[in-house]
Amino acid sequence: MKKLSVDDLSAMRKELKKKKGSWIRVGCSTCGIAAGAKEVFDTLKEEIQKRDLKSLEVKQCGCIGMCYAEPLVEVMIEGMPKVFYGKVDKDVALKIVEKHVCGKMLLNDRIYDAKRSR
Amino acid sequence: MEKRVFIKDTNHVGKKERTRDFYTAFLAQLRERKLENDVQLIRVADIGAYNQGFVVHIYPDDFLYSNVEMQDIPRMIEESILGGKKIDDLVCHHISKQFRIVLRNCGVIDPRNIDEYIVHDGYQAIEKILSGYTPEKVLEELKTSGLRGRGGAGYPTWLKWQFTRNVPSDQKYVICNGDEGDPGAYMDRSVLEGDPHSVIEGMMIAGYVIGATKGYFYIRAEYPLAIERVKNAISQAYQYGLLGENILGTDFRFDLEIRLGAGAFVCGEETALIASIEGKRGYPRPRPPYPSVKGLWDKPTVINNVETLANIPVVILQGGAWFSNIGTGASKGTKVFALTGKVKNSGLVEVPMGTTLREIVYDIGGGSASQAKVKAIQTGGPSGGVIPEDFLDTPVSYESLQKLGSIMGSGGMIVMDANDCMVDIAKFYLRFCVDESCGKCTPCRVGGTQMLNLLERASEGTGKREDIEKLKKISLAMQRASLCGLGQTAPNPVLSTLRYFEDEYLAHIEEKKCPACRCGALFRYSIIQEKCKNCGLCAKNCPAGAILGDRESGYTLDQEKCTRCGRCFEVCRLGAIFRG
Repeated sequence: MKKLSVDDLSAMRKELKKKKGSWIRVGCSTCGIAAGAKEVFDTLKEEIQKRDLKSLEVKQCGCIGMCYAEPLVEVMIEGMPKVFYGKVDKDVALKIVEKHVCGKMLLNDRIYDAKRSR
Repeated sequence: MEKRVFIKDTNHVGKKERTRDFYTAFLAQLRERKLENDVQLIRVADIGAYNQGFVVHIYPDDFLYSNVEMQDIPRMIEESILGGKKIDDLVCHHISKQFRIVLRNCGVIDPRNIDEYIVHDGYQAIEKILSGYTPEKVLEELKTSGLRGRGGAGYPTWLKWQFTRNVPSDQKYVICNGDEGDPGAYMDRSVLEGDPHSVIEGMMIAGYVIGATKGYFYIRAEYPLAIERVKNAISQAYQYGLLGENILGTDFRFDLEIRLGAGAFVCGEETALIASIEGKRGYPRPRPPYPSVKGLWDKPTVINNVETLANIPVVILQGGAWFSNIGTGASKGTKVFALTGKVKNSGLVEVPMGTTLREIVYDIGGGSASQAKVKAIQTGGPSGGVIPEDFLDTPVSYESLQKLGSIMGSGGMIVMDANDCMVDIAKFYLRFCVDESCGKCTPCRVGGTQMLNLLERASEGTGKREDIEKLKKISLAMQRASLCGLGQTAPNPVLSTLRYFEDEYLAHIEEKKCPACRCGALFRYSIIQEKCKNCGLCAKNCPAGAILGDRESGYTLDQEKCTRCGRCFEVCRLGAIFRG
């Protein structure tokens, strides 16, 4: 890839900011991985693929800070509040896809933080 | 679903019936109004408020209510859910005061993808600087911001940079100190793992200002994931031409490399760190000359902590004046703390300077994790001290913590409850420093060991009254005569526990008792036969096989075999285990 100039960089940033859509993020820092985040990430990826939900992106991210509730999964589906699910395991991950992503209903007893989605 | 309502009982842990009744009543009232298909009611695990009764959060209006009673349900439905209006007398005021500058991207971006950093205003600060900021202008912004080193000492960052800039030299260096060694502290690791590019950008700006073309990350080898992510971030930055020659089409040049630390605590000290990068043994040397004059390979060098560097891009983008509005007195901006120990919600918190310790421990941390009361908090790791519960209303700043006999340090904050023994805590930190002492200077090498011997005597019940004076005397000698920060600050945990909890030391020495029942030689467990119902739970759980007997003939505790682990005390439901 060619080296960026000042103009290239700002044009690139502008272009990247246009990207929108729903996503799921899994906290994959040392703390999250130690608590089982990799398995959760793989499960989510697999399930999303199985259900052919192409517009939904599953991503890894760093540590949000709520170490007591790892592994953490943040879910942002357009039109729904952005929420953090804590202490997620394989079963909860499957439920997130089934109920939250497909059924548009939030899960009981698993949410640790929520914000308005833009 | 148009609306979502989150509910949480923030007073009671484990009392599920209370939540169930409230949930059922709420749901019934929604059904009465035929709203069950428009409003989803959700029980949540955490809502960010503690000890404030039922807390209700309504989306998408973002109304947060606390101390809600059953009779408030109808008006919440009518006025807030249907009417979209806020009910003022229910509004929750005790909410988390977190404010994220350093952790702005942690948990938000994919640290392995440079594009995600760029999209979150990444490399915009260096872009701004290379489009027309002189190094003096950057220094001016930093000076206005009031940013001080986050590694612990709190030296003004702009001053450090200016000194280095003013020393003429053909080569200068920037070093990122990622040798985070305090027990229980992991702020830097999280930043390196979650947002490595922000630190790279901070180092680039430092390089531009002081006139350095080369930088080093010094990261401890115990952080393999942080190393992997920084390595990846550096190579992506090279690909984009953000590192190397002619950065962003200008003649600015900057190269970065990683050096691994082998985990010696003393290598967090700047002169020892430099020796370690040079391939020498990690020994500190006397200062001056400071690294800003004679640093890496005798060239002028700036060493900044990870957290300090992660602040830099934001200071440039938002401006120094914006940054200086956050914080208090001479401590500006925010501070990241690793909140651990006996606290309900352990984790990383970032708060504006000036937030009180109580707000951190109770409003964010949720208070004590057990039934026991919070007794004290420890800040600053082995170089810091304890702050008793009475002083928790102190606002956090470099100066206020120092006044209390502790230090800000790199940001470890360990909460202790009534079951923690202060002599034991002092012993733990002192042993850490004794283990990590490099042995170069006598006050640290010999003084630390002697102090540890005195503390061990106290916790074994053979301490003498004059030991307390001896501890104070050796502490003073170490503080004055040690070569580097490790030795100078090693007595701090002892001095601060002595300052606030001298009665506990006296109990150990004179009464031969450990009030918190932690020092094994000063208390014992036994079975209170009158209360014991011979259930055998203690015997089953004892890892040392020290509880003898069976369900017919009853149980006795063999003091010889007992390791004082306290397992029997925890599992007995009848209170039939005596401790003391």
